[in-house]
Amino acid sequence: MLSATNFSQQLQFESNAVDDSMDEGGAAPHAKKMMWSIEFEKVSKSFGSHQVLVDLDLQVRPGEKVTLIGPSGSGKTTVLRLAMTLAKPTRGDIRIFGESILFDADKKGLSAAQESRIRRRCGMVFQQYNLFPHLTVLQNLILAPTTVLRQSKAQAVESAMVYLRMVGLQDKARSYPAQLSGGQQQRIAIARALVMKPEILLLDEITSALDPELAGEVLDVVRRVAHESRVSLLIVTHEMRFAREVSDRIAVFDRGSIIEQGVPEKIFTQPENERTRTFLQSVLDH
Amino acid sequence: MRAVLEYWSVLAHGLWVTVWVSFCIIVGSIPGAVILGALRLSENRAVRLTSTIIIESIRAPSALVLLYWVAYALPLVPGMPRLSPITAAIVVLALDGAAYGAEIVRAGIEAVHRGQFDACHALGLSKIQGFSRVILPQALSQIVPGFGGLARSMIKWTAIVSFIGVQDVMYVANYIRGQTFDTVAVFCVLAALYWLLTILCGVMFRGLEQLLPLNRALRSSRVELNLTSNLVSESVQ
Amino acid sequence: MTWDWAFVIKILPALGIGVWYTVVVTAAASVIALGLGLALAIMESVSKTYGRAFVLFWLELFRGVPSLVLLYFCFYVLPQLGVTVPAIPIGIVVLGVVYAAYCSEVYRGSLITIQGELRDACVALHLRSYTKWRRILVPLMAQRAAPALLNYVLSLFRETAVLFAIGVPVLMGEANDIGYEHFRYLEPYTLAGAIYLAMNLPFLYVLSRFKDKHA
Repeated sequence: MLSATNFSQQLQFESNAVDDSMDEGGAAPHAKKMMWSIEFEKVSKSFGSHQVLVDLDLQVRPGEKVTLIGPSGSGKTTVLRLAMTLAKPTRGDIRIFGESILFDADKKGLSAAQESRIRRRCGMVFQQYNLFPHLTVLQNLILAPTTVLRQSKAQAVESAMVYLRMVGLQDKARSYPAQLSGGQQQRIAIARALVMKPEILLLDEITSALDPELAGEVLDVVRRVAHESRVSLLIVTHEMRFAREVSDRIAVFDRGSIIEQGVPEKIFTQPENERTRTFLQSVLDH
Repeated sequence: MRAVLEYWSVLAHGLWVTVWVSFCIIVGSIPGAVILGALRLSENRAVRLTSTIIIESIRAPSALVLLYWVAYALPLVPGMPRLSPITAAIVVLALDGAAYGAEIVRAGIEAVHRGQFDACHALGLSKIQGFSRVILPQALSQIVPGFGGLARSMIKWTAIVSFIGVQDVMYVANYIRGQTFDTVAVFCVLAALYWLLTILCGVMFRGLEQLLPLNRALRSSRVELNLTSNLVSESVQ
Repeated sequence: MTWDWAFVIKILPALGIGVWYTVVVTAAASVIALGLGLALAIMESVSKTYGRAFVLFWLELFRGVPSLVLLYFCFYVLPQLGVTVPAIPIGIVVLGVVYAAYCSEVYRGSLITIQGELRDACVALHLRSYTKWRRILVPLMAQRAAPALLNYVLSLFRETAVLFAIGVPVLMGEANDIGYEHFRYLEPYTLAGAIYLAMNLPFLYVLSRFKDKHA
């Protein structure tokens, strides 16, 4: 399954690329014809009069792990919800592997089928796990592969068991979510997202609802995913140590826009922006 | 009382008609209730408004007025069918049940956690797939008890079908009263029969609740919790 | 048969009488339902054993037996006992009593939430039982239960149509009489339906206001 072929090469290539783009102040290097896995172009989002995102530009390379940090209410979760088409931006465009998830070539809205084909390349794990309580763990994992990808049940079960082993919960296949601890539920939720073989995985504060001692087991799973697969990760988290360790790049959010981004070392040791410094101080002191 | 009981076969026949009509209107109201209830939650304002208007216009004039209208006024409108009394009764009461049931379905769906909708979307399920495989099975845990209460009411609604000539248990009771003049006994038997029917209906719905997916899931986790807590208490002893 | 406007004009006054009786019956039965329902809820709260058993019996009876059966019962049995009561009071009392049972449930639900919140305060202030009920619990109960109670009043209004069975000249009864008399059914039943529908509108308006305030 999650093969590590050419993994080190890819990582090398990516970190170089990240450095390049950073040198250009984070602006999108369109000239290089880089295919972004996900790309936000001048995206704004308002709820009523409240503006959550302001002209956001953000690009993620295939296989890149990007973490969004920043004070709560700064719009990080909204970025993930927009990417997952759980919400629509007020302005701007979002592209997944070059294809807009909002418009077709004629700038008209997408049909349900088109949208579903494009968004299938994204998977998401939620703060509240959102497992289906009426289904067993295994049924949770095979529902989407059998209905959306039209896999046979045997095929779906086989692949589900691979991912259950990966998150270390193969013996819980017949349990119901309510029988599991929060940490176990979240690991199942990660497996459920992975069986759909997403190319981009969105992780929305996946440890915030967990007690600290349970958060560790979930983060371990994410570390494995980050190191062993080529999926792009877009992470929103408050776990700074984890962010530093797993990310290729950190983007700092404040009041709906990115105020600073760069490799973790730089953000955590030499932040340029004053607000970044204050924010990091306030979270790292705790 | 004995005089009344001599008419037991007529009474049984009337009871059978009441049971049959009740069964038809309860089952018949389900598809309408699910569809109207789901439409009430549509993202489209026009669809929402239309379904609200349909629901309120069915409920507003009470089943009795609707029943008379369908039985006596509708056939006079050119091109409209003359329904047999029992068909008219079933159509009208099932419609009324669908309108009341729609609110139960709506409330049940609204009670399903928002995150479940998000998860369906994130997994790529279509609206229909998500509704039928994830949302509705969970909503049923709220909807079925509510529908049980409605079904008990619907059995009582059937009492009015005798007005348009359906020979249900109410119709038959009036007939027996005319024959025996034992009003007290007739109506006591009648009340007892309706009461029994509604109790039976309630029991059946409670049985149905046990079969629902979410209830089964929660029950099995509770059983395990009890087992572990028993084990813990035993090991403590 | 085609729609006859002249006939419509002719029967409107009779239907007007039906509307009047419908309003009267609804209002009177609602007063009984709301008042008696409150009394039942208080009784049930004060006497946990007999009061509760009585209210439960009452509720179970009316949950399982159609109001039509109770109406017929009172209408035919009372004269046999030598009590002659006109149809209108019978209709009002039966509907009022049936709906009192439902309303008592609503009151009870709101009472449970209030008592939890305010029990300690009432004890701390040494309020007499009467004062506690009269000045604090009952007003709060009425306020919190209002939307649900109004829903029952609306159901009661819809059910008044059934009173035509014992000869009360509610709108339904008038429409029925007109149809029978003139052998024309289209206009009276259609008009009655439309008028009943229109009479729902004030209820629905107030209920939607309640919902807005709540949300």
